[in-house]
Amino acid sequence: MSRHQERYSTLVLMLIVALLLTMLPFTDAASPFRPYWVGLVLVYWTLEVREMVSLGMAFVVGIVLDTLSGSLMGMHALSLVIMIYLVQRFRARLRFFPPWQQALSILALLVNDRIIQLWIYTLLGEPIPTWQYWLAPLVGMAIWPWLFLLLDRIRAGRRRQKT
Amino acid sequence: MRTARLMLYLLMSIVLMAMDQRGQYVPRIRSAMETAIEPVFHLIGLPARALRAISDYSRSYTELAAENRSLKQSRLSQSAEFQQMQALRQENRRLRALLNATAGRSFDFRFAEMVQVNLDPFSHKVMIDRGSRDGVFVGQAVLDGSGVMGQVEDVHMHMSGVLLISDPGHALPVQIARTGLRTVAYGTGETVQLLLPTVPQQADVRRGDLLITSGLGDRFPPGFPVAEIESIDRDTGGTFAEVRARPLAALGRGREVLLVVQKTDHPEPAAEPGQPPDATASSASASELETDS
Repeated sequence: MSRHQERYSTLVLMLIVALLLTMLPFTDAASPFRPYWVGLVLVYWTLEVREMVSLGMAFVVGIVLDTLSGSLMGMHALSLVIMIYLVQRFRARLRFFPPWQQALSILALLVNDRIIQLWIYTLLGEPIPTWQYWLAPLVGMAIWPWLFLLLDRIRAGRRRQKT
Repeated sequence: MRTARLMLYLLMSIVLMAMDQRGQYVPRIRSAMETAIEPVFHLIGLPARALRAISDYSRSYTELAAENRSLKQSRLSQSAEFQQMQALRQENRRLRALLNATAGRSFDFRFAEMVQVNLDPFSHKVMIDRGSRDGVFVGQAVLDGSGVMGQVEDVHMHMSGVLLISDPGHALPVQIARTGLRTVAYGTGETVQLLLPTVPQQADVRRGDLLITSGLGDRFPPGFPVAEIESIDRDTGGTFAEVRARPLAALGRGREVLLVVQKTDHPEPAAEPGQPPDATASSASASELETDS
C-alpha cells in the first residue's frame, strides 16, 4: 500500500513539472517546438503502470491544463482522454515495440491529437494554423526515447528510496 | 466498459466546451479557478522576471548613458508636442463651450506589465499584473504604446486576463481617421490581421488609412489608433468590400501595457464584480447596433 502511495506522488510530481514546462515562457520563435509534455508523461505512465492512469484522471488533468493555459474549457480534457484511451487499447503492442517503433507510434498519437485540436479550433472560427503547428508532434517523437529513459530512471529511483 | 467510460468523458468535455463558448456559468467558474491559481502564474512568471532583472543589472554604463540620452531627446520633443496639445485642448474646450456641446472626456492611464506566462496562442489572451486591488474592472480598455490591444475579460486579485482584439469573437467599433467613416473591426484569430466586413463598396478607403476607435459601444475611449488598412478587395460581388487591416499594437508580444481610466465618467474606477463577464458579447451587440443605423 505504502509503495503505491509513494508512486502516486511520483506521478503527481512529474505532472506538475510537465505543467510548469508547458507554461514557462520562452521566446516566441521557440514556442511551436514545445512538445505536449503533459500528454507524454501520461502516456508513459499508462504504458508502464497501467492501473494508475484512468480516463477520469486524464480528464481531470486536462481540465487543470485548460485552466492554466487559458484554452477552451474541456479541450485538453478531450484530447488527453482520447490519447489515453488509445494507449490503453494498444498497450500490449506498444509496450513491446523497440524504441524507434514506439517513437513512431507516439508521433501518430500526437498527430492524431493535433488533428482533434485543429477540428475544435476550426469550430471556434480560428484560421487554419501554419505548418509550424505540426512541429510539436515531431519534437515529441524525437524526445520520446530519451524522455522514456529519464522518467524510468526517476521512477525507479523514487521506488527504491521507499522500500 | 472502457468504451462506455470513454463516451462519457468525451460527452462531458464536449458539453464543457460548448458551455465555455456560449454559456455563462463555465466562464465564471473558470474565472474563480484562475483567481485560486494566481500564485501559480506568479511562480511561472518568476524566471522571466529574474532574467530581465539580471540583464538590467548587468548592462554597461555606456549603454545606459546612450539610452538615457535618447530618452531625454524623445521626452523633449514629446513635451513640445504636449505644450501644443495643451493649447489645442484649451481652444477645444472654448469652442465646445461656444457650441454648447458636452465637455470632451479625458483619460488617465495606468501602467501595467504582462505576466510572462505561456498561454494557449489560440486563447487570444494575456495576463497583466494588475487586478481588482488596483481598481481594474471588466471591460476596461487596454492599450500599448502604439495602439489598442484589447479589453479586460476577467479580474482577479492581483492579475487580470486581457482579451486581445484578434480574438475571432471580438468586435471593435472603429472609424477611419481620414474620412470619419464608422465601421467595425473584427478579430480574425491572427495577431496581424483584423477584418472589416461592413465597409460599403463605394466607400472612400485607401491602403494605409489609419483606423481609430470611434468610442461607440462605450467600452473603448474614442480616438485611439487601432490599425492600418492593409488591403481592400472590392471584387466580392456583395454590398460590402472586404477590407483587412493590420493592428498597430504588438498583440501578445509586448511587455508593458496601459489601462485606460475615464476621468469624468468614472472618477473612481470601482471594481464591479457583479458585472457580467462576457465583455465581448456586449461590445459585439453594441457594434451591431451601430452597423444597423
